[in-house]
Amino acid sequence: MTAARLSLQQSAIIESIGESDISINFLELGILPGKEIKLLKKAPFGGPMAFIIDENIIALRQHEALMIKLKS
Amino acid sequence: METAIFTHTKTIAIIGNPNVGKSSIFNQLTGLNQKIGNYPGVTVDKTVGFVRLGEKSFDLIDLPGTYSLYPKSEDEVIAHRVLNGIGEEKPDFALVILDACNLERSLLLGTQVMDLGIPLAFVVNMKDLAIKKGIDIKAFELFKSLGVPLVLTDARNNEGIDAIRQLMADEKFESPKPLLDSNAYADAALIEEVMGRFGFKNPYQAFQLLVFGEFDKAISQRDKQWLEEKSASYGFDRKKQQLKETEARYVKIAGILKSAVVRKKVESRNITISLDNIFLHPVFGFVIFLAIMLLIFQAIFAWASIPMEWIDVGFAGLSGWIYDNFPAGVLTDLLAEGIVPGIGGVVIFIPQIAMLFGFLAILEGTGYLSRVVFLMDRLMRPFGLHGKSVVPLISGMACAIPGIMAARNISNAKERLITILVTPWMSCSARLPVYIILIGLTVPDTLWMGVGLQAIGLLTMYLLGVLFTLLGALVLKFILKTKEKSYLMTELPIYRLPRWKTVLLTMFSKSKIFVFEAGKIILSISIVLWVLASYGPTGRMDAIENEKIALLENTPEEEWPIIEESYASKKLEASFIGIMGKAIEPAIRPLGYDWKIGIALLTSFAAREVFVGTIATIYSIGGDVENELTIREKLEKEVHPDTGEKVFDKATGFSLMVFYAFAMQCMSTLAVVYRETKSWKWPVLQTVVMTGVAYLAAFITYRIFS
Repeated sequence: MTAARLSLQQSAIIESIGESDISINFLELGILPGKEIKLLKKAPFGGPMAFIIDENIIALRQHEALMIKLKS
Repeated sequence: METAIFTHTKTIAIIGNPNVGKSSIFNQLTGLNQKIGNYPGVTVDKTVGFVRLGEKSFDLIDLPGTYSLYPKSEDEVIAHRVLNGIGEEKPDFALVILDACNLERSLLLGTQVMDLGIPLAFVVNMKDLAIKKGIDIKAFELFKSLGVPLVLTDARNNEGIDAIRQLMADEKFESPKPLLDSNAYADAALIEEVMGRFGFKNPYQAFQLLVFGEFDKAISQRDKQWLEEKSASYGFDRKKQQLKETEARYVKIAGILKSAVVRKKVESRNITISLDNIFLHPVFGFVIFLAIMLLIFQAIFAWASIPMEWIDVGFAGLSGWIYDNFPAGVLTDLLAEGIVPGIGGVVIFIPQIAMLFGFLAILEGTGYLSRVVFLMDRLMRPFGLHGKSVVPLISGMACAIPGIMAARNISNAKERLITILVTPWMSCSARLPVYIILIGLTVPDTLWMGVGLQAIGLLTMYLLGVLFTLLGALVLKFILKTKEKSYLMTELPIYRLPRWKTVLLTMFSKSKIFVFEAGKIILSISIVLWVLASYGPTGRMDAIENEKIALLENTPEEEWPIIEESYASKKLEASFIGIMGKAIEPAIRPLGYDWKIGIALLTSFAAREVFVGTIATIYSIGGDVENELTIREKLEKEVHPDTGEKVFDKATGFSLMVFYAFAMQCMSTLAVVYRETKSWKWPVLQTVVMTGVAYLAAFITYRIFS
């Protein structure tokens, strides 16, 4: 499962980040394998999602959240 | 002989993550001693501040906020260039601002800078927040394991700023041994070769260049090719090694922080999350956003008009004073009618620019601006725009100039360019006087389903602007090509109170940039326009002047104003711009315009509202030209001399409004687009395309209604 499927207030541990041109962007924002990620908010109509990682709030587009693979 | 001690001014580059309080520290250290310049080839502003500490003086270079030194945006390329001294003079020291609450992430950047070999010091900012969160930073442990001197600060409350000054005065910057060995991520021989070719003393510089080279325009094509060939021959996979290196860096940092940071569990109410329940609410979030935008719109539309009126009156007064106190002649005319109003035409934008950027600085300082991006991104994306495009576009409804300047926040080059190119189609306040006169002339003042027909007409013009802005963006989305991927991935920072000093400094520096950079172009064009409208082929102008004087001599004084008016009209007709207006008549005939309107179209290039003044002069409307009713009554009676039909009938009026809605008729916008894109290509293209669309749309409108 990926972070895009989390429901509000649900949290999980990041397993890996999918490979893409922006993989490095995840790392530099502190979105790393092993970290806990929790869904805080969702913008309407399939808009961005706001996650909490390390007490920081990070906004991602749905397509970006799809790249975060979670441990089941 | 006089002895003077010349101390060499040393340069210090300041770098840090976004939202880490870097600007706050920079402003505290330098105050108003800031200079804004350019980096060659990019649109990033170069801000340099000056600090004097006893005998020593320092130039502080404020590098753009970034999470790493990886190549993605122009901001990061600049950070990379400056820190490596590529095309820029290499600073003597670096000051890296770290976030006390996010040491892990800040140290990713911090240790990258460290590995470049430049002597540096760390400033661990926001220690107050860390204490509240129960994060205890063992400063000495951190210093021991990294070897970098560090200072703990709370810049908002001015705590620790003196310690930074002391550190600078003592030049307590170190270059410790690198955190990572670059040879583990690229072949040692490859690193060696790159170091040799580019004259680097440090292996990490070589590694960075291997990763970066492709993206930096400052690297010559030949060097790029060389880097590519070398990478291929050594089997260096840029993306893979970059990821590997970053992961290794994080592992090392985590190890260091294990002993340098102690976390206590603190139960605290999280204000940010409570506020986000309101501000990011799927319904109230948008309502609040609209309310805030309405407030900003009101400010640049209505409140700014008060100081703008003062500027207008002030410069008019200055012109009058010059006439009264200087000897009559060409030079006085140039000063009073060309240069002074030209400068006035630049200064008049300051209230709008200062107000928009004041509001933006408040929204950014509080952390709200990122929430706007979160809310609006989904709506803007289908049009090739970014969540961050919302503010420039809404500002465009008051004035495109501050809007285009605000597009700087958009990091993706394509989305930023689209925003800049379409913003002038939003209906700005300068179009309003034109619409009001023309709607008054062509739309009956009656009710339709309880709503005034004229109000509906005005609303239609505004909606037409929004519609074409979005359509234009959509078209550009498919035309413009980019390798850069669009992404949102952004941090929503915690909510804080804005720093008023930062707000004021932003208002000041944005106004300054506009006046000194765009102002030059605006002033030159306005002087040219003035010359064209005041002078004509010598024989003709003199003949008219002599005729007028002869007539004045033979009439009683109370009739002079009428004669002056009719001759002002004749002179405008005989001027170069008058000649040009007549010359373009065949081209604008299909739109329903005569040469008089042609002249107004040309002078409107100074600013759209000039239409009103020109029309008043050319139709010799006396009395109070500010009074729209006078102009309207007079224009109502204008008929074509040959056919006897009304000049401003429905077809011509509508066509003219459509033309003003779409044409690029604002030299100030042009100047600002040039300044923001650093190229004449875009403003010229924008003028051609916008005016082309305006012509076509006006033609179609004229056909439909005639």
